[in-house]
Amino acid sequence: MITIAPAIYLVLTSLTPLNLTLPDTAWDFSAPAGNYLDLAEDPRFTRSVWIQVKLSVATVFLQLLVGLGVALLLNGSSRIREMARSGFLIPMVLPPIVVGILWRVMYAVDISPFHRFMAFVGLPVPSLITDPNWALTAIVIAETWEWFPFTMLMVLAALQMIPASPLEAARIDGANDWQIFRFVMFPYIQSTLVVAAIFRLIDSIKAFPLIFVLTDGGPGDVTEVTNYYAYRQAFTFSLWGYGSAIATLMVAGVFVLSYLIDRLTGVAHAEAD
Amino acid sequence: MQRQIEPGPATARPLRAASSRYWFQRNRRRLGDIGTVVLLLLVLFPFVWLVQMSFRPNRDILGYDLLFTPTLAHYRALWTGAFPASFLNSLITSLASTVLAMVIGVPAAYALSRSGFKSTRRIALWILATRMAPPIAFTIPFFLAYRHLGLSDTLLGLIIVYLTFNLALVIWMMQPFFDGVPRELEEAAWIDGCGVWEAFCRVTLPLSAPGLAATAVICFILSWNDFFYALVLTRTNASTAPVAIVNFIQYTGWEWGRIAAAGTLVMLPVVVFSILVRNYLVRGLAAGGVKE
Repeated sequence: MITIAPAIYLVLTSLTPLNLTLPDTAWDFSAPAGNYLDLAEDPRFTRSVWIQVKLSVATVFLQLLVGLGVALLLNGSSRIREMARSGFLIPMVLPPIVVGILWRVMYAVDISPFHRFMAFVGLPVPSLITDPNWALTAIVIAETWEWFPFTMLMVLAALQMIPASPLEAARIDGANDWQIFRFVMFPYIQSTLVVAAIFRLIDSIKAFPLIFVLTDGGPGDVTEVTNYYAYRQAFTFSLWGYGSAIATLMVAGVFVLSYLIDRLTGVAHAEAD
Repeated sequence: MQRQIEPGPATARPLRAASSRYWFQRNRRRLGDIGTVVLLLLVLFPFVWLVQMSFRPNRDILGYDLLFTPTLAHYRALWTGAFPASFLNSLITSLASTVLAMVIGVPAAYALSRSGFKSTRRIALWILATRMAPPIAFTIPFFLAYRHLGLSDTLLGLIIVYLTFNLALVIWMMQPFFDGVPRELEEAAWIDGCGVWEAFCRVTLPLSAPGLAATAVICFILSWNDFFYALVLTRTNASTAPVAIVNFIQYTGWEWGRIAAAGTLVMLPVVVFSILVRNYLVRGLAAGGVKE
């Protein structure tokens, strides 16, 4: 109930041109599809969706790759690696706003150790977050750093469930590391990777604090993802009806996406059985 | 796990490449350890950098000297500003929403676990909805409703929002713990004269203590870390620590030392707690993973 009520309210609001500075607009349903028609012709909205797709695909892919790599490294049974697991966890649990500040420091030319080092060796690098060509990459790096531990944890858990006998058998048969990974380990962790990817994909749509602190959607609007655009329309420009319409579309998008994923992975599972 | 292949003792005249490969094989474990430590240092570098910045004196804030006299000046400056109040707000909202979610959610999870009624799917759906829907979809209605109800910029308003999310999480996390407590133990307690409630408090709860602790900690972390709801639903009175940081960035500009100090304070409880409950984090953060 407490989840449904806001949803209904959201959809209703999205049908009105609600603007809090104009009280008459609150329950004005004279043009219910107005916001949606405007959206269809709003290039900034279309662009924000495209930016979202780029951000999501890049971060999810990199997180899977890095998370898997680190998990394989940590899968050994030495004390150092056991302890390192807690350390690698830190980025994920930090308050997102602090992650934003960390990376803001890393990207600030005058204070970042990275930039200072590059300047010192004679290769000064301009700040990534103020460069329109690199700002999105900067966000991708920070987002990957923040969330690769999630994949790492899930893969580690899956790796530890692999029974020892097939691994030993493969080793006795003379399989090299790559073959062991590809043909023995990978089938065990495949479904875990899919689940991790789904979670990260859905979460990547919510990316907000990082963008808020690092680039504020800029420069221009190159890092303005859909979520951020909706926030701006509603909370900066006070166009609540319009913001709600974007949010409604986002919810719809997430549901369609999870439905598709469910179907696709369902098919994949059926084939694997 | 034994992963070394011992080279045969009588390998005829090892080639150079082969012998270096054997060297790798033999020292694999040590190499892996070294790699792990190097990688860990690299990954945690930004984190460590921020912490050391918070202790650096202002005139040397951009400095590179590894040896500097640490100062608490930034922390002292924070103490005199508006930051302590918002830190307190963060504590109150996180603790209150966690405690309330536990008080309501734990018995609910127990009831669900013992009813035998297959409502898990519906619960999973509820959690999925609160987890998947973009926060903006919740904030707009909450914001508009709170304006009418007079709840905007109040601690109560924030607690209600966090409660919604934490409650779903508590039920999701606690149910399997209760499923794991054998019914026979409770039945034994009933025979010995305990009521249902007493048996629950005296037998079941203590047995699921680790789960309770982990769940509470995760609820706390999630509310503590929240930025978006707090940003939108509070202004000055009820602003939480993450929002306070952003506020003084907007008012005083990038005063690195103070920002670093505030960031360090905000992340401190989370880092400590999360290492304590490491093993349960996956389930908590992956809540809603029906396929898990």
